[in-house]
Amino acid sequence: MDHRPQAWGRPRDDVYGPYDASYLQTSGPKTATQSPVVTGTSVIAIKFKDGVVMAADNLASYGSLARFTDVKRLRPFLSTSVVGFGGDVSDMQYLDRHLTELAIDEAYEHESSAAGTSGGAPGGQLNAANLHKYLSKLMYRRRNDFDPLWNQVLVAGFDGAGKPFLGSVDLRGTAFAAPSLASGFGAMLAQPIMRRHAATDADAAALSREQAVQIVRDCMKVLFYRDARSLDRYSLAVVTRDGVEISEDERLEQQSWAFAERVRGYGTQVV
Amino acid sequence: MTSIGTGYDLANSIFSPDGRNFQVEYAVKAVENGGTSIGIRCKDGVVLAVEKIITSKLLKPGANKRIATVDRHLGVVYSGMVPDGRHFIERARDEARAWRDTFKTPISTADLASRMGGYLQAYTLYQSVRPFGITAIIGGFDSPAELPVDGEVGSGPACGAGGKVAGKTHGGPFLYMIEPSGLYWGYYGAATGKGRQAAKAELEKLDLGGPGGPALTLEQAVKEAARIIYLSHDESKDKEFELEMTWISGPDGPTKGLHQEVPKELREEAERLAKKAMEADEEDEGKEEKMEE
Amino acid sequence: MFRNNYDNDSVTFSPQGRIFQVEYAAEAVKQGSVVVGIASKTHAVLVAIKRNAEELSSYQKKLFPIDEHVGIAIAGLTSDARVLSNFMKQQCLGHRLTYGRNIPVRTLVEMIGSKAQINTQHYGKRPYGVGLLVAGVDDHGPHLFEFQPSGMTEEMIAFAIGARSQMARTYLEKNVAKFADCDREELIRHGLRALKESLVQDRELTVDNTSVGVAGSVKADDGSVKVEPFKVYDGQDVAAWIESVADDKEGGASAGEGEGEGMEVDS
Repeated sequence: MDHRPQAWGRPRDDVYGPYDASYLQTSGPKTATQSPVVTGTSVIAIKFKDGVVMAADNLASYGSLARFTDVKRLRPFLSTSVVGFGGDVSDMQYLDRHLTELAIDEAYEHESSAAGTSGGAPGGQLNAANLHKYLSKLMYRRRNDFDPLWNQVLVAGFDGAGKPFLGSVDLRGTAFAAPSLASGFGAMLAQPIMRRHAATDADAAALSREQAVQIVRDCMKVLFYRDARSLDRYSLAVVTRDGVEISEDERLEQQSWAFAERVRGYGTQVV
Repeated sequence: MTSIGTGYDLANSIFSPDGRNFQVEYAVKAVENGGTSIGIRCKDGVVLAVEKIITSKLLKPGANKRIATVDRHLGVVYSGMVPDGRHFIERARDEARAWRDTFKTPISTADLASRMGGYLQAYTLYQSVRPFGITAIIGGFDSPAELPVDGEVGSGPACGAGGKVAGKTHGGPFLYMIEPSGLYWGYYGAATGKGRQAAKAELEKLDLGGPGGPALTLEQAVKEAARIIYLSHDESKDKEFELEMTWISGPDGPTKGLHQEVPKELREEAERLAKKAMEADEEDEGKEEKMEE
Repeated sequence: MFRNNYDNDSVTFSPQGRIFQVEYAAEAVKQGSVVVGIASKTHAVLVAIKRNAEELSSYQKKLFPIDEHVGIAIAGLTSDARVLSNFMKQQCLGHRLTYGRNIPVRTLVEMIGSKAQINTQHYGKRPYGVGLLVAGVDDHGPHLFEFQPSGMTEEMIAFAIGARSQMARTYLEKNVAKFADCDREELIRHGLRALKESLVQDRELTVDNTSVGVAGSVKADDGSVKVEPFKVYDGQDVAAWIESVADDKEGGASAGEGEGEGMEVDS
């Protein structure tokens, strides 16, 4: 029997035939982080009159396995913005830690910059638009290093003019802003619903907070019905000028699966 | 033995025959010329205070802060060469960040003091650098709560971490002072700069190191700190000064575990009491008529 | 000149805890012509005297824009100032690129402070031989900072550095309470009057030797802030301002008062 360390843990050649060493190839490009492992699904968000509402479920999937069911994918930043993460969860943890450090650095600058100004004037802190710009540069740089952070990120808060801001960045560094945004499956399933209510910034500015929250809840329900990597427990964040409120234990109420009977065109059914 | 003229004091890192590094001692002289800084570690937090001499009427009042935050729960104040102090703070912030990168948790006050002590000591080792012309006081409140790991996404096992001793508390307020040599000690009350002698004498009168821990509360400590800075200020030598004060409480206290500037109202109240105490002192000495109220 | 053993480099403390090389570098600032800066609630201005080497030569620039919202005035070694100026420009652009906003003025100034401090602590380096006044606006309004070769940076209401600047500072100290509420034009006139205090006998402000730089951030009634980008005015653009302070006695000509540092390098 082969007792060399290289052979430990492998099928015995004398029993199973020679091991196909081509699986162990070490040449070729390194692809360590070029595919996601544990993932979160859609993040959705919509602007309203006084701010932005964002939601994401609490699931982290390992392939098709619902691996972690209490994962917080909406993170506050400086209590003025919210960042929602879809995609790889460990990359999200890296970004979360990175943003924590960014927030600490920002507090250093702010404590000295605001000094001597009357009444500790607000403003001057990194706002959601600044944060969105920063994340877009970070993600674009990482993709150019062939070491992308496998996420799609939504940033919600306010811009320099004090207007509600909602932006998206993906693993390629593609960045844009819109009245409503959704990542992953949400881009197909939730985005059309949200667009029906807020196609433009002017439409969004007509929505009340309650309306926006209701739209987002409806979208979460559609996503749970249709997205097999989703969960009926989710987090909901509302950003207004007063700050950030995140509720991390929302549940989808009044589910009705009756429609499932009538869904056709997949699995073993024949029309 | 005098240092001047021996030639042993012309470069850093050189030992004199009796085993001294004169350049470090000269750096201490730079500290002794700086405005007084003090730190008080009390029952439920730490207070830092500094006497900022107003060198020009043209300085913008209140704009030039001398006490800086490191991470969120630590404060640093220093006496001596201000640009060296800025360098110290930048390094301390880098250390705190590096600690978070490695351990995914905030650095403790003791660990920061250790890292910074090591950093200052390195500047006494080479002829190619000079020691820092500052003595720094580091105050912090290490969280007694079980902190989540940075970047944690879920709640983890519901039964909690094991291996704990029942009733044992963790964290609390800490205070350290680091000298140009890199030497540092933990303190109940620390003072450095021009008025350190008078300040130390006052600090020793406070109830800071009793067997059951310090009795002084944070609010009392703020008032004592203001009084001590006013008392150690030498009016005859220096012009006016500005008092800057910061504090750090535990998570249940007024700053929620963060290092923050003492609110304006409380600081002004402390300054009013400090001035009153000074006047009372003078009256006692002069055996003059009683003050009203 | 006096010499001592402790002034050969910037890594040696004197027995009193001083670093002579840094103090000498501060003297270099006094060799440069005077510059004045003032900040109000709405504007930050810089004014400067430019020198020419000889009658037919051009005048050395004293004010430099750094970014849309920041400008500097220099006194001392111009080439050292250029190093700092380039560094500041890079930092401003870098910040704009990554965050999409103007860099806060204090952050910028502290960066050059740190850079300068390093030069006072390492053998083989020398302190910068230049002092700066940095004027700019950010989300917290207008600011004026002084930068010294030691790496010291301080926010000021008003300040003057350079040759015979003590006279200008005396003027500024006398009027310091007025500046906060001055409007743009008043602030510039105060700057020019301070500048005049520092002039040697029988020299005066001309369109050739005077520079003015202004940045502003004016808050409108609806809360929005209108930023006036930093702009330098030279030549005929400053004629009206010079005219407006000609033979003007306000602020009291403090002739005969303190000779300042007594370094009369302007001639």
